[in-house]
Amino acid sequence: MGLTLISGEGGSLAARDYPEVAESPRFTCALGGAYSAALATYGAVPILHSGSGCGMANAHGMTYASGLNSGGPSGTTVTPCSSLIEEHVVFGGEDKLRRLIETTISVMKGDLYVVIPGCVPALIGDDVDSVVSEFKDKAKVIHVKTSGFVGNGFLGYEHYLDAVIDSLLTERPVEKKLVNILGVVPNQNVFWKGDLIYLRDILSKIGVEANPIFTDFDSLGAIGRIPAASLNLVFSPWVAHGTVKKLEDRFGTPYEAINFLPVGPKKTSALLRTVGRLLKIPKKRVEEVIAREERAAYRFVEYMAELFMVAMPHSYFAVIGDSLTVATLIRFGANELGWNPKLAIVTDDPPEEYREGIEKLLTTNLEGIFAPKVIFDYDSHRIRLALREEPLQVILGSSLEKYIAGTENEAHHLSVSYPVYDRMIIERSYVGYRGGMRMIEDMSHAFAGPI
Amino acid sequence: MTINLDAPTCPTREQRANGINAFNGKATELVERARSGQLRNCERDFQQNAGCLLNFYLTVRVATIRDSAMIVHSPVGCAAPAALYREVFRRLWTSLNRAVDFDFHWLTTNIGERDVIYGAADKLRYAIEESERRHSPEAIFILTSCASGIIGEDIEGVVSELQPRTRATIVPIHCEGIRSRIVQTGYDAFWHGILKYLVGKPRKKQADLVNVASMLSYTWQDRVEITRLLGKIGLRPNFIPEFATVGEFRQMSEAALTAPVCPTYTDYLSRGLEQEFGVPYFLYPSPIGMANTDEWLRQVAALTGKGKEAERVIKEERKVWEPRMDKIRAGFDELKKKNGGQYRIMGSLGQGRLVTQTPFFHELGVTTPVALCQDFDDLLLEDVENLIKRVGDFEIVVNTFQAAEVAHTARKHDPDMVLSCPFQGSAYKREKGMTRIHALRADGRTWSAQAGYAGAVACGNFLLQATHNRSFQNTMLAKTEDPYRPWFYEQPDPHYFHRKEAIG
Repeated sequence: MGLTLISGEGGSLAARDYPEVAESPRFTCALGGAYSAALATYGAVPILHSGSGCGMANAHGMTYASGLNSGGPSGTTVTPCSSLIEEHVVFGGEDKLRRLIETTISVMKGDLYVVIPGCVPALIGDDVDSVVSEFKDKAKVIHVKTSGFVGNGFLGYEHYLDAVIDSLLTERPVEKKLVNILGVVPNQNVFWKGDLIYLRDILSKIGVEANPIFTDFDSLGAIGRIPAASLNLVFSPWVAHGTVKKLEDRFGTPYEAINFLPVGPKKTSALLRTVGRLLKIPKKRVEEVIAREERAAYRFVEYMAELFMVAMPHSYFAVIGDSLTVATLIRFGANELGWNPKLAIVTDDPPEEYREGIEKLLTTNLEGIFAPKVIFDYDSHRIRLALREEPLQVILGSSLEKYIAGTENEAHHLSVSYPVYDRMIIERSYVGYRGGMRMIEDMSHAFAGPI
Repeated sequence: MTINLDAPTCPTREQRANGINAFNGKATELVERARSGQLRNCERDFQQNAGCLLNFYLTVRVATIRDSAMIVHSPVGCAAPAALYREVFRRLWTSLNRAVDFDFHWLTTNIGERDVIYGAADKLRYAIEESERRHSPEAIFILTSCASGIIGEDIEGVVSELQPRTRATIVPIHCEGIRSRIVQTGYDAFWHGILKYLVGKPRKKQADLVNVASMLSYTWQDRVEITRLLGKIGLRPNFIPEFATVGEFRQMSEAALTAPVCPTYTDYLSRGLEQEFGVPYFLYPSPIGMANTDEWLRQVAALTGKGKEAERVIKEERKVWEPRMDKIRAGFDELKKKNGGQYRIMGSLGQGRLVTQTPFFHELGVTTPVALCQDFDDLLLEDVENLIKRVGDFEIVVNTFQAAEVAHTARKHDPDMVLSCPFQGSAYKREKGMTRIHALRADGRTWSAQAGYAGAVACGNFLLQATHNRSFQNTMLAKTEDPYRPWFYEQPDPHYFHRKEAIG
């Protein structure tokens, strides 16, 4: 269909342009981000104080969109919800919320109850804090100060962590080898479960205990230990940077922003060296682990390499996704796989003050002669047009690119960022010494074979 | 009941048909109380998320209208379910005659903090103009949300301002989640917009065209089957809304009749098409099960003068499919012998499935200890009465999809098989049988069919197949936790948390 303006003989009636009016943006709302984080916390029961469709919208548009996942034991239609309608808009929803919290505690097993308000209570002025405070002697109930319209799912994740810090944490003696892992946002990062598990396993190789918060059964225990860490690692170029600063203010925990996930041997070794240095792990020990792991990983790369060289050698490639995914895979493609980066499309709407840094991150320290063109956008239509401009053999993006990759770019496609409806991702992750190989396993079949 | 197309939208199901969100008792009692006007909505002290007018699932459905653009006038999360629009429906094999070159389009106005203070009407104007610039659609659907409703957006104002300058027909749909406790109101709101803005005056009558509003809870194979059956008596289906073109909506006024696949879903549209354009309709039965498919064909034939052809087709089809149904019945008979003489299945979902599935179970020779129903209203009252006459009285639980109430009901009645939605919590963890109630809408396999004769046999076989192995359900039951505390199951009332006083 054409791209010319048909209606506009007298110009536009809209007073100005709104770039945030977008086709299929690559995130859910802040309520969805907080809801995802609460669902990721084993033993936590989210309580949505919202219209009756917010949970369902985020089941279909968030957990299912994150590699066809259900929401877990408290997810989908199990999640309590105040299901506000017009009479609550008129008379207030506080009474309904009060009764919902009370009945939820009585009927649903839980270590922690997480009240997450949506748009309706914010617009009608419910005093959620005061209702939640009535339960302080009955159960652990926290209030995530968020709403649907205040921002996207990444912000909702930060709001959830804020609520956890403000309501649940107290000083703990510092444990020297304990680090917290933050910044990997459940569901917005479609590999979050596997990523956290692999990060913990990798760090354990040099004697560091990682607290990924979300993957333990004893989530409340894991949350309680947050102040005991001697270091906070935030795996994102921008998400949760405010959170780790807040933890530094409250508990004096230093932090390190790691703006990539360790996909492939090179970056995994880099992570181990960084953490080893920060936690004063003997260098010899770290280097021994690195030498052993790299040797084992590259041994198996040999099984992959020959047909990889047939199927997709030195490909021009694009990565579309949140800052962390894009930073990770542009680097992995350029520096380990020998691909040529053409396009880096950042879809998580980073705050203005971080953008220059992210652009620099995406265009420097890359092998080969190319630095990718960097675009900050989450509008799937403009993203599609931008992809058409480039010759590409590989598109690492969302399942929104699945069909247009082939027909409009002749590119091989793999879903690695939200939304992902074309593959099931449960513990899958590309993190670690062998993680990059798993990515090649997932995508090299299309053009590989004996010639 | 008159449909007032001068109004911006439909009444709610509560207003229009005394729709209710809760009931637990005998079907006879439900009918009696409905007849005497005693049914009321109730407030639940414990309630679980179960979808709203917008997201049960207008976003997903409206996005599939082929040459249109959809604008979800909402914060970003309300629009998120439609993110599957480019990919999931392409899984349907092109060999099944789905359009090859479809390309769906939608936008969200992405209502933010500034908008809830200053209003988002200008963003909506921009979104409409941007839809035209990008896609030159035939129609632009505007779907509203709780946020747009509460901040008092003047949707009608924007539409009347922009329509004269816009090539596409703009269709506003008032599906704010806060409007109603009954999600069916959202479908009525959709049909209201379609009737008011999109359906054109008939240019010519198409005597062989049958409007079929198939909500794709049934699958693509069901369309294939309905097309085949109508084709045998010289008729063509006009399937709406999924995958339809705007032209196919416009021509609904030219059709010979409107036939149901799900009566509660089709009701408002069918009545509106008759009132405005004289297109006749029937609402019962749906073509689910052998006898209902016979009857569906007869009703279609009665309105198109195809009585003889229909009787011939019914005879032919019965000859092909009846032996296969016999085999399925024999399979269930074997099970019944080992099972104290009966095999009990708990199913249903919407009202539509209530009145169609229960007789189908009887055809298979299985019984229903209890029928679950999302909501209930006066629209199907007579059909439920007829159903009671056919199959006897039965238990019914109306529960707007409440997962804990469903879990309680399943424990209490302990049927041999539970049919459940994929997202109904931990419902798959059972010692006795459990299987899905329906498949992905883009599942093109004949295995997943449910409508017509082929669907009756496929569904019967599917249910029988589900009885052969329970290891997955059993294992998950044994190895994982249930979300609810034991006391809830130990007390007798699935509606334990309902407030006793009735409300509007």
